[in-house]
Amino acid sequence: MRVTMSDKRDELNEAEGLARPSRRVVLALGAAAASTVVTIRPALAQTAGSVLNCEIPVPAPEAAGSHISADGSLVPAGTQGAFPPAPRPITGEEAKALLNGGPTPAGMDAEAAQAYTNYIRRLQSGMSGFTCYASLQMPR
Amino acid sequence: MAGPTFVADAPDALSHVALESLTAIYHAPSGMTHLLAPPAPQILAALANRPGTAEDVLARIAESFDLETEDAAAAMSARLGELEAAGLVRRA
Repeated sequence: MRVTMSDKRDELNEAEGLARPSRRVVLALGAAAASTVVTIRPALAQTAGSVLNCEIPVPAPEAAGSHISADGSLVPAGTQGAFPPAPRPITGEEAKALLNGGPTPAGMDAEAAQAYTNYIRRLQSGMSGFTCYASLQMPR
Repeated sequence: MAGPTFVADAPDALSHVALESLTAIYHAPSGMTHLLAPPAPQILAALANRPGTAEDVLARIAESFDLETEDAAAAMSARLGELEAAGLVRRA
């Protein structure tokens, strides 16, 4: 019994010696389908690039056709003093500028843009564009 | 067949913390944190300040380690793809 075990150990040592003369660390490269990188993304702490590239539709698609009153609430089309929907979604970068009292996005009327800004301020969780708006509030 | 050349950010753009067999890496330029399992940290080290193709990376890692894989090229391509998706390496 003892002899067998010691023989076996010798065999193993010999095999190991032949296969790995330098006794180096084995590094498994993994299967092509395996995953070795997990990225931790706090819900709203996105990168500057993605925050500024997100878009806020005004109004949300589910309210398509509604006009936007000066205070940002949605009103039926044709309501006195209300503005038609934004011609295109407002980007995160534009929204950030608007919320800080910056310039009106290209191609938009200044007063309408103010109404759109108020609409954006009133966005709530679950509404299209809210995540974009919320991420603009995050400190970088 | 030379594939794309990959570039990693300079090592000083990253903060490493070893967590037993995993490595947590904070990537300052993006502000994101990544958890890496081997061989991802070794691949990043092989690319640090030395851009290279998948073949170059394999050769560099093979200098220090015995590689265990069925298809080294496919595995390395997958690992580099993951690191690229995470923003830790990019194509030159």
